Amino acid sequence: MTAFDHDDEVVVIVGSGAGGGTLAHELTTRGIRVVLIEAGAHIRLEEHVNDEWEAFGQMAWTDPRTTSGSWRIARDFPNLPAWLVKAVGGTTTHWAGATPRFLEHELRARSTYGSIEGATLLDWPLTLAELAPYYDRAEIALGSSHRHGRPAMAANNNYKVLANGAARVGYNFYATGPYGTNSEPYDGRPGTIQDGFNFQGDRSGAKWSTLVREIPRAEATGNLDLRPDCQVVQITHDARGRADAVIYLDADDNLHRQRARVVAVAGNSIETPRLLLLSASSRFPDGLANSSGHVGRHYMRHTTGSVYAQFEHPVHQYRGETMAGIIADEARHDPDRGFAGGYYLETLALGPAFLAAFAEPGSWGPDFTSILDGYVNTAGLWIVGEDMPQETNRVTLNGTVTDAHGLPVANVHFDDHPNDVAMREHGYGQAELLYDAVGSTSAHRTPPYPSTHNLGTSRMSAKPEDGVTNAFGRAHDVPNLFVSDGSVFTTGGAANPTLTIVALAMRQADHIVDLFSRHEL
Amino acid sequence: MTSLSTEEAPRRFLESDRAHVLLVRVIRIAFPHDTLPVSAYERTADSLLNLAVQTNRMTLAVANGLDSLGSLPQGDFLGLPDDEAFAHLKSIERTEFFTFVRGNTVLTLYNLPEVWAALGYEGASVEKGGYLTRGFDDLNWLPDPRVEEYSGELTRVEQGPLPYPVKASRRTEADEVTL
Repeated sequence: MTAFDHDDEVVVIVGSGAGGGTLAHELTTRGIRVVLIEAGAHIRLEEHVNDEWEAFGQMAWTDPRTTSGSWRIARDFPNLPAWLVKAVGGTTTHWAGATPRFLEHELRARSTYGSIEGATLLDWPLTLAELAPYYDRAEIALGSSHRHGRPAMAANNNYKVLANGAARVGYNFYATGPYGTNSEPYDGRPGTIQDGFNFQGDRSGAKWSTLVREIPRAEATGNLDLRPDCQVVQITHDARGRADAVIYLDADDNLHRQRARVVAVAGNSIETPRLLLLSASSRFPDGLANSSGHVGRHYMRHTTGSVYAQFEHPVHQYRGETMAGIIADEARHDPDRGFAGGYYLETLALGPAFLAAFAEPGSWGPDFTSILDGYVNTAGLWIVGEDMPQETNRVTLNGTVTDAHGLPVANVHFDDHPNDVAMREHGYGQAELLYDAVGSTSAHRTPPYPSTHNLGTSRMSAKPEDGVTNAFGRAHDVPNLFVSDGSVFTTGGAANPTLTIVALAMRQADHIVDLFSRHEL
Repeated sequence: MTSLSTEEAPRRFLESDRAHVLLVRVIRIAFPHDTLPVSAYERTADSLLNLAVQTNRMTLAVANGLDSLGSLPQGDFLGLPDDEAFAHLKSIERTEFFTFVRGNTVLTLYNLPEVWAALGYEGASVEKGGYLTRGFDDLNWLPDPRVEEYSGELTRVEQGPLPYPVKASRRTEADEVTL
């Protein structure tokens, strides 16, 4: 194992998920020394548990957070705004696998949708053409099905219901992917054995994650010093205002200082702004890289919802790949539907333990138990669509609640925008029609889960006053500070974000290598 | 609780058979399933009582909540018909006692392997080679759908209405939606 000295001037990456793990791989394989600091433990594949609650306890970020706002999460799960992972590999150990790309106009949301009251829409400072080669590389890395010669995933039972329903209501653009899990052996990893439990850490290794691909390959270069169970709590800077080190806590609560040539923050869209805000100094009194005031703002979590429909015959939704079923016909901008932006419909399956917890939080009695009684005959899908960025949907430091280390926790404030609500209602309606078309006997509208797609809190912008980073995720205020996760999304698009996070991290890595070679960093 | 007037009375009450029997009935009325074995409800009640005695706050809330079920205006909760028992629980659903029972039953009852079996859920499969040869695609009441992406003459629409008919739900007007 490589170990760099605390005084070595290395690239420090905070967080080892889709963004941080990819960036570490890209840099170390090109000879750059990286210290990758991960708050969570290094859980090996064989240590993952195919049990919903046990795995949740093992993997999820359960450190306290608080919530406010009108979203239902603040009532049902006030201390669990997001369902993210705290472990090596980050939330890629938990992601389901869908890999759609952003559409061209989704990167120009402000220009395309126009001014929407209450929304802080902004065009991305980059185009789909600039991103496309990195999407190709990301799809090849993830082994996305249906792409670059990778075969389609097989149809599981839940998909059979979804796809037949889709066809009967008139949809055309449905398939079992693109999906970032091996349908057959690829890239040194096995094909899927259709064992489900995508959210619990994949024991077989068929599912892409930075835990199985980027991190071991980065370690093999000898240029990676991976430090699990260490949480970065501050980024410091020198007299010129350039980041010079990170301060982190080890598992025993001891503080360490790691010198840094470059700092890249990839803690997901709640911890990333929290860290920047915790790094306020006399030079940056409102938080590091926050002269614009945008750090923590425009928090997005996708417009989501689920429908669980019951049939007269068995489905066994839990068997097989959880999200290998995607309908794209509604992922378009068509204001005639009553809202801007679009959404995908994707298969989703929960076991009885999670279905009971999330199907209708707070509910009990026969209406509730009937959802569980029909479990075997139930098919499920997830609505995932673009939500509107809003200035007041925001991650801030809680002034009174502290974590186990005595540090202020993040508060996540979220109010649904009317556009989000209209889109969700439309999605529920289409899902019910779809299931009705294949004979459903009942359908239940499940509200959004704790957020799995957390975006926008350090957004990219062409102008420094409009956001936190430039088109490469480089902080407008601090030239050797980068943000490398979904926080940089200027708007959310409808696509599941992992593929785009990976593509952006690859693009950022090329940029950092280029800056190094030109001695500009 | 007048019969147990020591300083540990609430905790001792929660360890009594009476408390256990009352709680089992509360859970069965609140979470009725024809298919679940009684043992699942009993194990859930045991778990909840063990959890309650760990803090004074929940000891007080649960002991008081259960004890008061014995002296309802309509009689002992154990003797009420199911519909009256349900109506009573509905009337107390906002209490700390019932919130505790509801929330922890959801987390406990549906996490029992015997409940999974009763609901038809097979759980982990990785040690058995997954569901690849154990029915992941055995649904036969619908035709096998296409798994590849669409490759016909239509182009995917990214902006504007679809040029092909899709059954659509009624458009929701802004003033009808509920948060």
